[in-house]
Amino acid sequence: MGTVGMWVVTGVDGVAFGMLLFTAAIGLTLIFGVMGVLNLAHGVFYLAGAYLAYLIADGSLLLLAGAFAAAVVLGATAGAGLAVALAPVRGHLDQALVTLGLAFLAADVFTTVFGAGPQLAEPPEVLAGHVMLGGYGYPVYRLVFIAVAGLLAVVLHLVVRHTTAGILLRATVADPAMSAAMGVRPGRVQTAAMAVGGSLAVVAGVLGAPVLGPAPGVDATVLVLALIIVVLGGAGSVPGTAAGALLVGQVQTTGTLLASAAAPFVLFAALLVVLVVRGRRQPQAAGSPA
Amino acid sequence: MTDLLHLDQVSRRYGGLNALHPIDLHIPQGRRHGIIGPNGAGKSTLLHLIAGTIRPSSGRILLHGTDITSHTPDRRARRGIGRTWQHPAVFPRLTVADNIALALPSRSCFTAPFGTDPAPAQTESVLARFGLADLAGLRAGALSYGQQRLLELALATAGRPRLLLLDEPSAGLGPDDIRQLADTLGQLPTDVTIICVDHDLDLIWQLCDTVTVLDHGRHLTTGTPAQVRAHNGARAAYLQPTTTPADRSPEADRPESAPGSRTGGVSVAGLTAGYHGHPVVHDLDLDIPAGGIHALLGRNGAGKSTTLAALAGHLPPAAGTAVTIGGKPVPLGRPACAAAAGIGYVPQGRRLFGPLTVAEHLTAATAARQTTHGHPWRTDEVLDLFPTLHDRLATPAGRLSGGEQQMLALARALLAHPRLLLLDEPTEGLAPAIVAQLAGTIHRLAGAGVSVLLAEHRIPFAVQAADQCSVLAHGTIAMTATPAELATAGQRQQLGHLLGIHHTLGSLA
Amino acid sequence: MTDLITAPARRAVVAATAQRRARPIALVGAVVAAAGLPAVVDRYTITLAGAALVLAGLAMSTQLLVGTAGLPAFGQPAYFGAGAYTAALAAQAGITNGPAQLAAAAGAGAVAAVLTAPVVLRTRGTAFLMVTFAVQSLTATAASRWRTVTGGDDGLHTPPITVPAAGALTSPAHVYWYTLAAFLCLCAAVAVLLRSPLGLRLAGCAGQPPRMSALGHPVNTLLGAGYTAAGAVAGASGALLVAVHQYVSPADIGFETAAVTLLAAALGAGTMTGAIAGAVAVVACRDWIGAPTAGHGHALLGLLFLTVAYTRPVTAHARQLFARRSRP
Repeated sequence: MGTVGMWVVTGVDGVAFGMLLFTAAIGLTLIFGVMGVLNLAHGVFYLAGAYLAYLIADGSLLLLAGAFAAAVVLGATAGAGLAVALAPVRGHLDQALVTLGLAFLAADVFTTVFGAGPQLAEPPEVLAGHVMLGGYGYPVYRLVFIAVAGLLAVVLHLVVRHTTAGILLRATVADPAMSAAMGVRPGRVQTAAMAVGGSLAVVAGVLGAPVLGPAPGVDATVLVLALIIVVLGGAGSVPGTAAGALLVGQVQTTGTLLASAAAPFVLFAALLVVLVVRGRRQPQAAGSPA
Repeated sequence: MTDLLHLDQVSRRYGGLNALHPIDLHIPQGRRHGIIGPNGAGKSTLLHLIAGTIRPSSGRILLHGTDITSHTPDRRARRGIGRTWQHPAVFPRLTVADNIALALPSRSCFTAPFGTDPAPAQTESVLARFGLADLAGLRAGALSYGQQRLLELALATAGRPRLLLLDEPSAGLGPDDIRQLADTLGQLPTDVTIICVDHDLDLIWQLCDTVTVLDHGRHLTTGTPAQVRAHNGARAAYLQPTTTPADRSPEADRPESAPGSRTGGVSVAGLTAGYHGHPVVHDLDLDIPAGGIHALLGRNGAGKSTTLAALAGHLPPAAGTAVTIGGKPVPLGRPACAAAAGIGYVPQGRRLFGPLTVAEHLTAATAARQTTHGHPWRTDEVLDLFPTLHDRLATPAGRLSGGEQQMLALARALLAHPRLLLLDEPTEGLAPAIVAQLAGTIHRLAGAGVSVLLAEHRIPFAVQAADQCSVLAHGTIAMTATPAELATAGQRQQLGHLLGIHHTLGSLA
Repeated sequence: MTDLITAPARRAVVAATAQRRARPIALVGAVVAAAGLPAVVDRYTITLAGAALVLAGLAMSTQLLVGTAGLPAFGQPAYFGAGAYTAALAAQAGITNGPAQLAAAAGAGAVAAVLTAPVVLRTRGTAFLMVTFAVQSLTATAASRWRTVTGGDDGLHTPPITVPAAGALTSPAHVYWYTLAAFLCLCAAVAVLLRSPLGLRLAGCAGQPPRMSALGHPVNTLLGAGYTAAGAVAGASGALLVAVHQYVSPADIGFETAAVTLLAAALGAGTMTGAIAGAVAVVACRDWIGAPTAGHGHALLGLLFLTVAYTRPVTAHARQLFARRSRP
């Protein structure tokens, strides 16, 4: 049954793409939840990771691990740097300009170093094979990727729910000023959120490179899909982000197979539904406008 | 004759808190209706319900017999409801004339695009009526506070509303301004119905022909000013201590304090702070010994909350402000630094982390602790202090009752080991029994060496809880006295004058 | 160029009479200089100037939302695209008449804005920025996927536009003059809008939404009207894009267009003339000054973004000082 197999493969592919987007979007939602900053340079973090995988990983598992470690360090450093760059800036418009400016600069550097064409990042040789899935060969790497990203999601959820750091994080998201009144240094929490969010995005790039490889413009693609996921999932929520990511992943794969041109409209409709439902649940806050 | 406004069993709940129990009110046209009551009585909630900025949990609101319960605020405004806010809500970037143009009765957006002003003649007449003509070309944000309040009133009345809602119109105004305000309001056409919420009872007695008293979200009484002044329940809401003075034996309540914890009093010198460059508090000095409890009294807008917020680091203080605890200077303007220096803050409305559970609040407060100087409260000690929290550890803060929320806010502040605890309106929204319990708790904290500064509207509670009371008026300390001194007739009269309730207090004497 | 700052903000500076007298002169000077441009520069620069006018139209549309109504809009290229594709499809169908394309494109932009307004206006602040970004990106994706209509990533090539009495415009100078005339009409329309009661009300919505409702103004309907007007302006600019380049593709309405449009609006610091000047500066920086840097125009743009973001507080402060000094 070729057609059934095709749907199965596309569905699994949707999960893989969704988990890829989850890993990228969770950092964005963390930064947005803690700092209220929309990091328009977030796609660049992913792209940096993808290029890192292209540079370092050559098919051995060891070097993939090396790329992973490098991604954590690079992401944390770049994230902390971004926090410093955003510290003197107030207002969402200026924050958008700073992150956009950095994104443009980084994109220029990438094009200069790696050229304007797409590059191929190979998965490690052990995972390079295919398994039969519904009569089609399916890359093992993507299945492993789903497992790794799923594990990451569970770990993140447990950290946010049950560790002290997670509790402080949620307290800061709920009321930054009162969190500071308890003695939490807002600057430190924000830098930490930026560093962790940046690491996650670069790691997403390293692991996701064999699925969505490095090329100019990939940063914008990842950014906008991650952004839609943040709106769908609600700021700072791990399960919400996961659900949003899986939905967007399916729309981007199965939806595209069904009706290529209609996929954007399906995402738009999903945004509409979520915003309408959430708008009903949280009536406009009352109080003095001052 | 049908009523202009009829509140038919209207109520409002917030989570576990009953902000307003079902209330039934009939207000005929032309009535000047005052609404009074202590903080947290539900007065502002009532105004919001009528204006449509919040929806009732139950009941109906009828304007001229039409059910407007489901109408949006703008639809209600088009039906003739005008309002003011406690802080002037003007358009700061627009000129005064444009502010008024926006308030004039709606004309279509798409007509007369070529005129410079939509209705210059009308705008000018409104400006002239409020004495704002000379300021027409200025941006509203550049006006003084008093001028902004005047403009706010002009905005609210320019559309010729049938019903005018005034939320604390006297807040932040001096005595002369308040007299002028009363005159301006008195000159409004007699068919305009006014509902006025204010803490300045003099203004209420002068302006209103009917007064409703609320307390803890309950309707106590409605009647003429004379009837209300004679009403026992109303007087009790403002004046009677929630427990008898005989209950107060602070020394007995206070356990032996650890040696050394009594050294380390708080000194505030020259505190000047405010919002957007407008100082609300001027050059304020305070000294609180370790274990002392100091209450700040004063009308709305007198600067109580501003003082506390500035000490907690939430407002940037002006140059010249110096705060020390135990002789060590406290860095100002940063909440985390204030917390590290030993300042604990329980703001008005508690500001808990809504989705976090009680246990998570306690964990977060312990983990975030920066200071090592104060009394080392442990989580189990704090839970002993507030036993109700024990059974609620897994409950999200948003679902606690008002009293439990206050306890949790105190617990959160204590786990930071503060040497100075700032309590802003701690009794707001609490039932009388809980208020009495709270006074005892504050005494126990002071007994452990914590200095307490509380901002309070309820004189009886302040008198009961504190060992020193200061009255703020227009951002400065107008008098300081011990509770015992306040009991003398002379002090009482002065207090009444400062708080604008001397008629009520006088009738009690 | 006419000063299209919101009527109210402008009236605040009442005392600047000298400035007001100088304005018509500056306006006439700017228009004359713009019209005389083809006489002094080469064909490439004329086309660049046309592109700058197109971006300026889009920047005005964005500024209507960002500067006047206080909404950080990132999605105006979506309505720009609706207009551009409408004009291109009309041209392919044989309607080469420029003004007709302009009207159809403005209509398409307005319709697209009306259809999307119910979603985007449910949000404010950063969330508004996110959702308008999503609208922009999804529109660009739809344009690239819907091959039968839009030609996919290959885009649509169109015949030159015609104007009544002059026939087909083939020389770059003629196309530029047509674009300039259409752009000035667009400016006039925006100026009228800002001086209308709707313009004042949009400024009110930016300042104090609860106060606006309490005065009886339906805030969301007003913002919806402003959003629709901005969509129409963006759509009309889309028609000018097709007139200048005789070509439209998804790349024209992509991320970069959205970003530089926001940059131009931010450069304008809340004023319409500023947004127009900002658009000219962006095109000059990327395509003119950036040309000799061998493809590093984007890096230059990135630096421009950062410079604007870090100096905006300074310029805002300077403007405030100026406003204070010029009070009566």
